[in-house]
Amino acid sequence: MAKRDLDLGEDKVLLEHVRRTGKGFYITFSILVALTLWGIYAYLTQYRYGLGVTGLSRQIFWGVYITNFVFFIGISHAGTFISAILRVAKAEWRRPISRSAELTTVFILLFGVGSVLVDLGRPDRMLYVIRYPHFRSPLLWDVICITTYLTVSSICLYLALIPDVALLRDLGEKRKWLYQVLALGYRGTERQRHLLDRGISFMAILVIPVMITVHTVVSFVFAMTIQPMWHSAIFGPYFVVGAIFSGIAAVIVAIAVIRKVFHLEAYLKPVHFNNLGILLLVMTLLWFYFTAAEYVTVFYGSEPGEMSIFWSKLTGRFSLLFWIDFVLCFLIPLPILAFRKTRTILGTFIASTSIIIGMWLERFVIIVPTLTQQRLSIERAIYIPTWVEWSILAGCISFFLLLYLFFVKLFPIVPIWEVREGREKSIVEVGERIKTYLPGGGKE
Amino acid sequence: MEIDRRGLLKAAGLSLLGLVGGSVWYVISRAKLPEPSPTPKTLVGKKWGMVIDLKKCWGTDGCTDCIDVCHRVHNVPRFGNPKDEIKWIWTVPYEKAFPEHQLEFIEEDVRARPVPVLCNQCDNPPCIKYCPTKATWRREDGVVMMDYHRCIGCRYCMAGCPYGSRSFNWKNPRPFIKKINFDFPTRTKGVVEKCNFCQERLIQGLLPACVEACKERALIFGDLNDPDSDVRRILRSRHTIQRHSELGTKPKVFYVL
Amino acid sequence: MYDSGKVMAGLVIFGCLVTSPIWYNALTGKSGYIPKPKIVTDKKQCIEPKEYIRTRHKDLLKDWRESVVRKGIRTYTGSDKKRYTMSLTRTCMNCHSNKLDEFCLQCHNYMGVTNNCWDCHAYPKGT
Repeated sequence: MAKRDLDLGEDKVLLEHVRRTGKGFYITFSILVALTLWGIYAYLTQYRYGLGVTGLSRQIFWGVYITNFVFFIGISHAGTFISAILRVAKAEWRRPISRSAELTTVFILLFGVGSVLVDLGRPDRMLYVIRYPHFRSPLLWDVICITTYLTVSSICLYLALIPDVALLRDLGEKRKWLYQVLALGYRGTERQRHLLDRGISFMAILVIPVMITVHTVVSFVFAMTIQPMWHSAIFGPYFVVGAIFSGIAAVIVAIAVIRKVFHLEAYLKPVHFNNLGILLLVMTLLWFYFTAAEYVTVFYGSEPGEMSIFWSKLTGRFSLLFWIDFVLCFLIPLPILAFRKTRTILGTFIASTSIIIGMWLERFVIIVPTLTQQRLSIERAIYIPTWVEWSILAGCISFFLLLYLFFVKLFPIVPIWEVREGREKSIVEVGERIKTYLPGGGKE
Repeated sequence: MEIDRRGLLKAAGLSLLGLVGGSVWYVISRAKLPEPSPTPKTLVGKKWGMVIDLKKCWGTDGCTDCIDVCHRVHNVPRFGNPKDEIKWIWTVPYEKAFPEHQLEFIEEDVRARPVPVLCNQCDNPPCIKYCPTKATWRREDGVVMMDYHRCIGCRYCMAGCPYGSRSFNWKNPRPFIKKINFDFPTRTKGVVEKCNFCQERLIQGLLPACVEACKERALIFGDLNDPDSDVRRILRSRHTIQRHSELGTKPKVFYVL
Repeated sequence: MYDSGKVMAGLVIFGCLVTSPIWYNALTGKSGYIPKPKIVTDKKQCIEPKEYIRTRHKDLLKDWRESVVRKGIRTYTGSDKKRYTMSLTRTCMNCHSNKLDEFCLQCHNYMGVTNNCWDCHAYPKGT
């Protein structure tokens, strides 16, 4: 790379968190490792004694783990939505947040897959899905879509990482050997830049349909059965909307924390939170629309099997969870996000946290009530998750954060090259582009 | 030592070829095992079905003979709590077994009467579609089978069954079996199980254990493809009902009142 | 080649580590151990020739399993045209009725093979 490129100027602050390791890191690290180990211990207990250590029963045989599966896969839609769709739409403000979004996608996906594996009665036989595949089973569609999604989104993350890795290598940072290998000989020549650009654009377009299929297929796990309130054609888009909804919320929380901890106030500005907040507002309204469409249809049709579940959610045993979910997903975020005055960093942070918790509950309230009152409800089944299930959830989240932390220790979380490209090229480009929108100006 | 790209690719290609060739040779070199031959008693061209005569069943109060014998011969564990419960055949109140029947003006007594329920051995079984490993499937004679060697324990078939006929082994079942029947395997923790229409007895030319055990002869078993069989005779002469026939699963367990 | 010294040293260490179990057994004198599965039966002949059973009993049992569970076929015709019921507990164990650790586990332990047949298939005298 040219000498000029190595002079980072004010962007030096973006490398601070790679260069310096403070006390905070070690404290966070230890807590996360402890929680992760605790989660592993919980899983080993389950592995040894069987799924009987959970609160699951003959009647309610899916619970926290399947909720986690749907929830984590949902969060993973963040990266694609923000990074790919905004990239394709040439939304310039995406630049500093694209990497943290992509990172969330890749890492949380691992735990989505993991949650299903944790739920298996015979995890030792999990590869039978590949050895004796039955393609009529929606679970196999999941396997195919999620592996594709994981592959494609990992490539997206990696491609956009290459120029920064090359920069770290040329700056002669610690762990140069790692950067040397990962940079794949990238020197930032005109041709390399062009190829990389094309690669990134191609992957960004490819990942969007993959993302839509992934969550549609996840919803199919439920929608393809003939259980009341699962067997619904709206489930595909409903789940996709819910996924993007929780995904954007996760990214807002992530960048709010990153901004504070790494002092990146100059890069992650109120405008980013405002713009993401507007997107989140749209998703809040869409989520409400889909939820309303689903419940009103069921209510008006009044099919007895569905109604018993409908009432168990609205006024019955699950009403508390259902209404908390509604408050967290709609009533709290809506006013905060609707007004410019409250759509601040703190405001969007609060709204997003509320949405993340609410969406976990929403998945739970979709999955569990149907199982308590299937067509043949015999016993009054009760499901109270045990410590094992909560510990594994905590372990998954901690392990996710741990991976995130490791990544941040090794690579800049705000893509330096994208910020620079924005500064050096895009300002002119965008100006040119706007001219083409206007009468008489610019090239067609 | 210098290796250029072309050389590396050549070497890699050759090694790959060796690996593939080797494994192919390994497969071919193993001669085929002798083919198993069907027994004279192997049941071909049949379609097993059952009729449950509820009037006869209600003849004796509190009888659980069919349940006891089934659970004994199939090593079904008893946990003594509804959470871990495993059952192949059991009873539910009439109104739960046939919720679609309007029972508003019927006597209270009938609503609560016990109806024996088991896997319906559907002719169009929804459960088998969901299994990601083909661990459950419909055999040619209509029995919906479970392969405990292949079940990964995802419980998707339980979500697919609208009758709740399937149970999951939440714990190691062995300690909860009073007396093991050595002629039938137990299951391990982590697999799904259900009624198998006593296929292990059918193959020996015997009737299912529950049918044999019923003193009232309320359970009638036979070949639905044979017009002269007992089941077909009853189906011809009396009004029979199936559980949730509106779901298109074509249950092969029929009830007469 | 760069760093040939280091690479060679690494290879030597790797080789030592990989072959260490062999050295360990040779030094402790365990290499001469031969498993002796005990056969307690008055029958002269297994369902197939000894050599075949020795090397292929695993495939045979797997075939039986597939055949009984998935195809519903329960009779096996041996290469000598004799018929047998395909059953681990009722055919194999009729002859090899001594404790598992005297027969099956003799070789399985030696070879480091584990299987979980007996988790489900119950057998009065065995586990």
